[in-house]
Amino acid sequence: MSYRIPIGPYHPGLEEPYKLDLLCEGETVRDAELNIGFNFRGIELLAEKRNYPQAIALMERVCGICSNIHTMSFCQAVENAAGITPPERALYIRVIMAELERLHSHVLWAGIAAKLIGFKTVFMACFAMREKIMDTLEFISGNRVNYAMNRIGGVNRDVTDPEGVLKVVSQLEEAVKKTIIPLFTKDRSVIARCRGIGILTREEAQLWGVVGPTARASGVPQDLRKDAPYAAYDRMEFDVPVQTGGDVLARVVVRALEMLESCRILRQALTQLPQGEWFGPENTRVPVGTGISRVEAPRGEVFYSVTSDGTNNPRRVRVRTPTYANLPSIRLMLRDADLANAPLIQAAIDPCYSCTDR
Amino acid sequence: MDLNALLRELFFPGILLAIPVAWFFLWIERKVSAVVQQRIGPPFMQPFWDFIKLLGKTPPTRRGLHGALMKLWPLLSTASMIGAIGLLPVATRTSGFAGDLILLIALLEIPAICLILAGFTSRSLFGQIGSSREAVMSVSYSVVFMAALISLAASQHTFNLPDLANAPMTPMRWLAIIAIVICIPAKLHLNPFSMPKAEQEIYAGPLTEYAGAELALWELAHGLEWVAMSGLVASLVIPHTTSLGLDLALYAAVSLALVILLSSAAAATARLTMGLSVRFFWRFGLAMAVLALASELLARIKP
Repeated sequence: MSYRIPIGPYHPGLEEPYKLDLLCEGETVRDAELNIGFNFRGIELLAEKRNYPQAIALMERVCGICSNIHTMSFCQAVENAAGITPPERALYIRVIMAELERLHSHVLWAGIAAKLIGFKTVFMACFAMREKIMDTLEFISGNRVNYAMNRIGGVNRDVTDPEGVLKVVSQLEEAVKKTIIPLFTKDRSVIARCRGIGILTREEAQLWGVVGPTARASGVPQDLRKDAPYAAYDRMEFDVPVQTGGDVLARVVVRALEMLESCRILRQALTQLPQGEWFGPENTRVPVGTGISRVEAPRGEVFYSVTSDGTNNPRRVRVRTPTYANLPSIRLMLRDADLANAPLIQAAIDPCYSCTDR
Repeated sequence: MDLNALLRELFFPGILLAIPVAWFFLWIERKVSAVVQQRIGPPFMQPFWDFIKLLGKTPPTRRGLHGALMKLWPLLSTASMIGAIGLLPVATRTSGFAGDLILLIALLEIPAICLILAGFTSRSLFGQIGSSREAVMSVSYSVVFMAALISLAASQHTFNLPDLANAPMTPMRWLAIIAIVICIPAKLHLNPFSMPKAEQEIYAGPLTEYAGAELALWELAHGLEWVAMSGLVASLVIPHTTSLGLDLALYAAVSLALVILLSSAAAATARLTMGLSVRFFWRFGLAMAVLALASELLARIKP
């Protein structure tokens, strides 16, 4: 018996509206169709109607999870166009915010993945931990979701108590080591659900151009923090976790190890935080031209291109988000999968439809 | 009509006792999972108020046979569970009749069959997938469940429940009881065997189209299933003492412990896939069937 199962646009297995039509034979998925665009807000066009500081606030709203990454890459693109180099302390603060955000995003994903395999206890544990990270972000920036930290040529707030943040980072690292990693790598029911499903081989990953942890779990060692360092990443020592399994378990492991690497980067950035200025120039005039920026968001590469015509408003802002690059591979991963695994497989790329639809 | 049997169905351990206990067990199930997840959990009366609230809702009108069947399945489910609870040898030495075990097994199977039929009757795609999952699951766990009960019955040469409950404990009997306990999460759709109602995949499965009083009855039937299954295990486990009060206390304690144990296990596991669960039950079922046969043969050889 073959039938078409609609998952979405509104479904308990999805966090955001998008539609996945599964063509099934019994409990086996034969093919899948993807539909996006339910959440389109026209942010790129809106950015052309705002001046630069207003556009930063707008870009913060592209994503509810990686809000900092978007303002950071927007500011970097504008800085490239205007030829500004932010102060050293600001670059370190950007790294601190980006890594805390990565931790928050990965913990959130771990929770969602647990919920999708019916493991609500782990979901609760992950979200309790996420709460601590959000408290830290609030401690630094005053905000829990949209941190408003980045400005053109610097950051809006200083990290006034690096030792305090360092203590929290140590606690988080302990929690990751003691709770999250054992839960996802040792629990038998979790392994039984994650191993060998949603496989994407290295060749397929390269062919379909996937990015971020999805690519690294398929054995493609790409990470912009290493390959094209920005902010203060070239001063940090860290490893890029790569797995060769290509299945959901490999994606889980990559993210779990990345959380530990994030803690390592945070510790270095907080201890080496240079003294000095962090605010940057008061006003910036952006000359005619285009600036681009590529950063490694929690889900993969984010690309920003900002074109200026010399006025107060950007002429064109173009955003490419990692989910958009990763989405087509879902179809590949879902073929011949078990229906029960379909929600988990689609979630394994850590999709963000808010970013994709923007 | 046997007055004693009627009284047992209506008052003790039937409707009058079983329904409040069902709500209590539903509360325990939710509270235990909340405690494991470091949440506060629902207030004590919540399952009762949920039932009342659902009774007050107006379900969609369904005409003709479709509507009648949608009402029939939860009713039949609830009724069969109350019937099963009435048969349990709680605080009695004399009740029961020859072959009441067979009736009990039949009554315990009815909710699963009703759920399967409900999913197909609802004409919802998610209901149909849930029903086919429930059908496959019920075929798998029933083998283990039957094999366990047959091994008990065969070793004692009786299909009478009170006789079985009063039989002495042997290692073989413990094995059968463990097998029954393992079947309970599958029968009650708890983790790791909650596939027929896997929310993240198929919404509420067979119950997707249900609302109002009909859904309230399904919830009640779920609570009654808790009472019946934990009661069955308790009646097989507790040693019968001379004091009726002590018997009852032990019975309640074992039932409660079982509900807490299985609810904690459900909160501490992920949902398996159909393939993994079916494989688990078939492998385990095969071992149980062989053991059941062995016990029967041993009982026949011994004078």
